[in-house]
Amino acid sequence: MKLAEIEELEQIPEELVEKVEESVLNTFGSIIGEELKYIEYENGDKPLNGIIGNIAVFNTDHTLSLMLAIPKDTALYFSKVFIGMELPFESDDMGDLVGEISNILAGDVAANVEKVGFRGQSSLPTATRGSDLTLFMPNKPPTKKMKFISDNTEFLLTMVLSESN
Amino acid sequence: MSKIKALVVDDSKIMRSAVKRALDNLMLADFEYVEAKDGEDALSKFNEEIEIMFVDWNMPNMTGVEFAQAIREQGNDHIPIIMVTAEKSMGKVDKALNEGGANEYVTKPFTADKMHKAISDYFDEDGKIVGGGDGEEEDKSFFKGILNS
Repeated sequence: MKLAEIEELEQIPEELVEKVEESVLNTFGSIIGEELKYIEYENGDKPLNGIIGNIAVFNTDHTLSLMLAIPKDTALYFSKVFIGMELPFESDDMGDLVGEISNILAGDVAANVEKVGFRGQSSLPTATRGSDLTLFMPNKPPTKKMKFISDNTEFLLTMVLSESN
Repeated sequence: MSKIKALVVDDSKIMRSAVKRALDNLMLADFEYVEAKDGEDALSKFNEEIEIMFVDWNMPNMTGVEFAQAIREQGNDHIPIIMVTAEKSMGKVDKALNEGGANEYVTKPFTADKMHKAISDYFDEDGKIVGGGDGEEEDKSFFKGILNS
């Protein structure tokens, strides 16, 4: 895949979106042991009260930023299945957990998008706790929002494709 | 039973705990752990008592592969290095095993079964370390790495 100049792209190439979706389903399916479903994102969804994991897969030309928006209840559930106990939502360990989950997702995404010609490496993750958080990017690069649900979880993934600085 | 001193290197405290818990549950040996939060920290804590290492890749200051290379360059060829990482691309696996000198490659999220397959051959029935760089030519092909993925 040869990416056009970012300013010429109106949306993220579908083949990239499909690979990221596939990685989310695989990664979270493995972590929580539940089947996830992708559902269309609706702008009318209620604001997030939870925690956001940020990570990117990048090369010298392009950066694929991934923002995982995880509601509090889902974050608590992740902690139960990932480490066997419910972590306090306000703890540093919860930020550590969400960062590590973001890192695991990015590792799968990096391997998966390589199959369609996007070769990159993962950044280090960061986590932010808060409510009604929005990712702002300069120059309005192509963005895709996706929502995933399972029996015990729901979360959003925003992906942004931009030029690397 | 004497304890096996294991170095667990990961910038995530949660993951260090997960690795330690998995190892304890496998009951291959009685472990005593030394923890490090990145490659630099691990180099400073490394000593001749360390018998096996579990190393993440993507960490600040010094990556896991850079740490593994540094350990091998010091002549510590006999200590098994198990990469435990989210990096899954073929090139990364190959780099860790061949350039980094890692012995095994376990991808996150790992299961107890996956970890057991990767490390059980390094322990005898008495919980002592065996093999792992005993001078014999090791099979460090890419395919060995993905068998543990």
